[in-house]
Order: sequence, then C-alpha cells, then structure tokens
Amino acid sequence: MQTPKHITIFHGPQHPGITGNMSVELDLMGETIQKATTHVGYLHRGFEKLIERRTVIQAFTIVCRICVPEPDPNEANFALAVEELAKMEVPVRAQYIRVLVLELSRLAAQFLWMAGQSGSIGLYAVGQWAIADRDLILDLFEELTGARVYHMYIYPGGVRRDLPEGFLQRVSKLMVYLKKRLKLYDDIFINNASFKNRAIGVGIIDASNALKQGFVGQVLRGCGIKADVRKDAPYLIYDKLEFEIPTQQAGDVYARALVRRAEMDQSIHILHQVIEQMPQGDIMLKMPTHRKFKLPKDDTWVKVESARGEFAYYMAGDGSEKIRRMQVRGPSLVHAYTLLEKLLVGAELSDVALIMNSLGICPPEIER
Amino acid sequence: MKWQIDIEGTLSPLAILGAFFQKPNTIAYPTIKKTTATGYRGFHTNVLADCIGCANCQDVCMNDAIDMIKSDQEYNKKNASQCIPRIDYGRCCWCSLCTDVCPPDSLKLDEEYIGVSKHASDFIYMPKNK
Repeated sequence: MQTPKHITIFHGPQHPGITGNMSVELDLMGETIQKATTHVGYLHRGFEKLIERRTVIQAFTIVCRICVPEPDPNEANFALAVEELAKMEVPVRAQYIRVLVLELSRLAAQFLWMAGQSGSIGLYAVGQWAIADRDLILDLFEELTGARVYHMYIYPGGVRRDLPEGFLQRVSKLMVYLKKRLKLYDDIFINNASFKNRAIGVGIIDASNALKQGFVGQVLRGCGIKADVRKDAPYLIYDKLEFEIPTQQAGDVYARALVRRAEMDQSIHILHQVIEQMPQGDIMLKMPTHRKFKLPKDDTWVKVESARGEFAYYMAGDGSEKIRRMQVRGPSLVHAYTLLEKLLVGAELSDVALIMNSLGICPPEIER
Repeated sequence: MKWQIDIEGTLSPLAILGAFFQKPNTIAYPTIKKTTATGYRGFHTNVLADCIGCANCQDVCMNDAIDMIKSDQEYNKKNASQCIPRIDYGRCCWCSLCTDVCPPDSLKLDEEYIGVSKHASDFIYMPKNK
C-alpha cells in the first residue's frame, strides 16, 4: 500500500499531539487521512483486576490513578458505589466538601485541556499560562488533601480531612482571580482568529447518532444535546445548586471548546454557592477496620459527571471484604475507538491532535 | 478550509502583551524554595517512644511496602514484637492509610519530600524518629 502518495504513519505513542500513551495508525493519501486505527496497550495497568485482589479500603487508593488529569471523579464514584452497597448515609458537610473537590478538579482538568488544545495548534503561551493557573488549584488541593495530583481524599463514608482554617476564603479569592483570567483566555485563545480558523468546521459530529453510539460530555453538548449527570441524575448535593448546562449546535472542535469554556464559568458559579452554603458537622462516618469492612452480596451502577463526560462504575460485592467485580465506564473507550476512528477519516494530518484533544481521551481509562 | 478576515479575532490576542507587566509565575529554585503546605504527604516519620510494633501499618498497606523489622534503636517498652516499620519507597504510593490505622499515632507523614541518593538501596527507608 506504500506508494509515493500513500503512506502509513503512527501518530503516537510518543508524540506531543497525543493525549496519553496510545497511538493512532493513519493511512494517508498526501495530507488527507484515508483510514485511522486506534491502538492501545502501552500501559498495561489492569485496575479492575488489581481492585479485585484487595480489600475495599485498600482498593480506594488505586482508583484515582485511572485518570491522571482528573482523579477525583474516580474517587467519588468508588465512594458512592461502596456507600450505596453498604447502605451508608454520608454526612452533609462531607457531601459539600466532595462537590467542592469535584468542581475544583473539573476546573483543573479544563485548564489542562486548554493547555493541550492550544498546544495542538502551536499557541504555546496559552498552554503555559493554563498550566500555571492550574497549579494554583493544585496548591489548594495540596493544602486540603496533602497531595497535588493523586489526592486519595474522597473516602467511603466521607472525606479524610476537614477543611483547613481559612480554606474557603482562599478558594473564593482564587475563583475571583480565575474569573478575571478567563476573560484573558477568551482574548488570546477562544476568540483568537488562529484557533477559530483551525477549529471551526473540523471534526464535526452528527447529533442524530451521538446518543446511540454512547458518546458523552462535551461531544454531546457540542452538538446540541443537553446531557449532564449532575442534572439528569443528581448525586451528592447537586440538586441544591443552581447551574446551567452549556450547549452548542455546530458539533465541531470549536463548539466543544466553547462548551468547555462555558463550563468553567459554571464551575466557578457552583463553587461560590458551595462556599456560601457549607454547613458545619461531621466529615466522616465511623468506619470499621479494613479487614472488618464487608460489602453485601449485591451490585450497583453509579455515575458522576467528570470534566470529560459521564463516568460510571459497576460494582459487585459478594459478602466478603473484597470487591467481587468492578467495571469502569469512562468516556475514553468509546471516544477513542467508535468516534475517533470515524472522525479522522477525511481530516488533515495536522488536525489529528486538534480533534483528539477536543474529545477528552485518557488512555489509562481504556486499559483499566 | 476557508479562511476569513476576522479583525476582532486578529486583534484580541494582543491582550497577551499585558503579560510584560505581570510578575512571573515561576520561582527561582533553588535560591527560593517552594514552601510545602501543612499536612503534605511526604516521607514517613515514626516516634519510637510511642510505636507499639502492632504491624497494623504493614497489614493495611496494599502495596506490601512496609516490613516490620528488628532494629537496634531504642523501643517503646510496650512494643512486644520489638519490631518497627520500614518503608520501601519503590512500592509506597503515599496514600497515608498506614498513618490512619496507627493506634498510638506514632507513624506520620512529614512535609519533607525530596530524596536524592546514588544508591538504589536507599529506597528502603527507615522512618526518622521524630
């Protein structure tokens, strides 16, 4: 198949334009992609099997590693699944703190996306600024949880530490700062003619099949489908908070960028409400030791809205201290195979990184 | 791809020039060192006067990073096993479950987190007695 005009190349696993350790095999005719094949298997992480071999409490430290850019939705999902199986009612303060952590995590993940998306078209200054601003959120995580990336904070039964003194004021102050900064990002990135010209009309997703194919998150909302777990099946205290689900109609890379940008505003809005409403009280239920904590023989399916879309866990207990089976259903598998392989056909080689970044693909989640 | 003239989109990125008047986000390491937040999960410390050698930390560690070993350091009189924990930092994930289950609260994580050594054997770490 290799002729002077027709070549096959690997985009990744070591490529600045790939979103993690995976690769896309591209059949090119000149600059145009004829066929795209996704390849994974560069991580061999096997989280689901690792979790089956540990007690529930031990397994809790593994799940955050399923997605590096935003570990907290995994921790929340794990805790929610265990609590539902064990019929535990988490204290209200802990639920508020969880939402605080989840929204901060969403903001941090969106800043990281902004860095990747802008880097994919050569706007590196935006990327460096976004990483610097994300670091300010990580500073808050360091103070609250004791770690910057893998927080291991949302624990079955509550959260592990209470808020440090003055923490909410510091979050509030940072949100005011970030709100100002986001206007600057609009100027240099979202409204930038370079980005618009590259992103408008590229990677268009058809809304008619999007739900049937199992797409989630900004992929759905970017083509006009209002879907968000926080509204559709509220968990924690999201039903007590006011926020909107931003949507766009075009279904292209630019529409997905606009949706993400609007979601950052909504996250800041939610965080202000959480700070205002934060109740006093316990942060954790009294938990038995890890060998005595047993899950009943039952199964459950829980889901949260991550920064990249619906993130679900299936969990089954068998009456022992170990989890019988756990399955992770994130956005990456369906976006990296079903969607990306079709979306790249007919696209230009230079648009591969651009399209990939807009889909929110995280390879460890595929190789769970 | 159709390129269009977008005057607003061409001029708006000039806002980046404002960065010339801002302070840098980075710090001049190592002249200025980053301060770690209180409660940061760094290296282990163990107060030997309190440690009772119960091995709860070893039991809860999901990575098998903790071994209970005999040591020539002075023990707590209540330490019947006469063993104290030793951490393998090749395995540890700093989850802090070991400190959560410590009955006398002697095992803790310190804010210190930078460790440099030429020897791989230094990954086997004896918590500082403090």
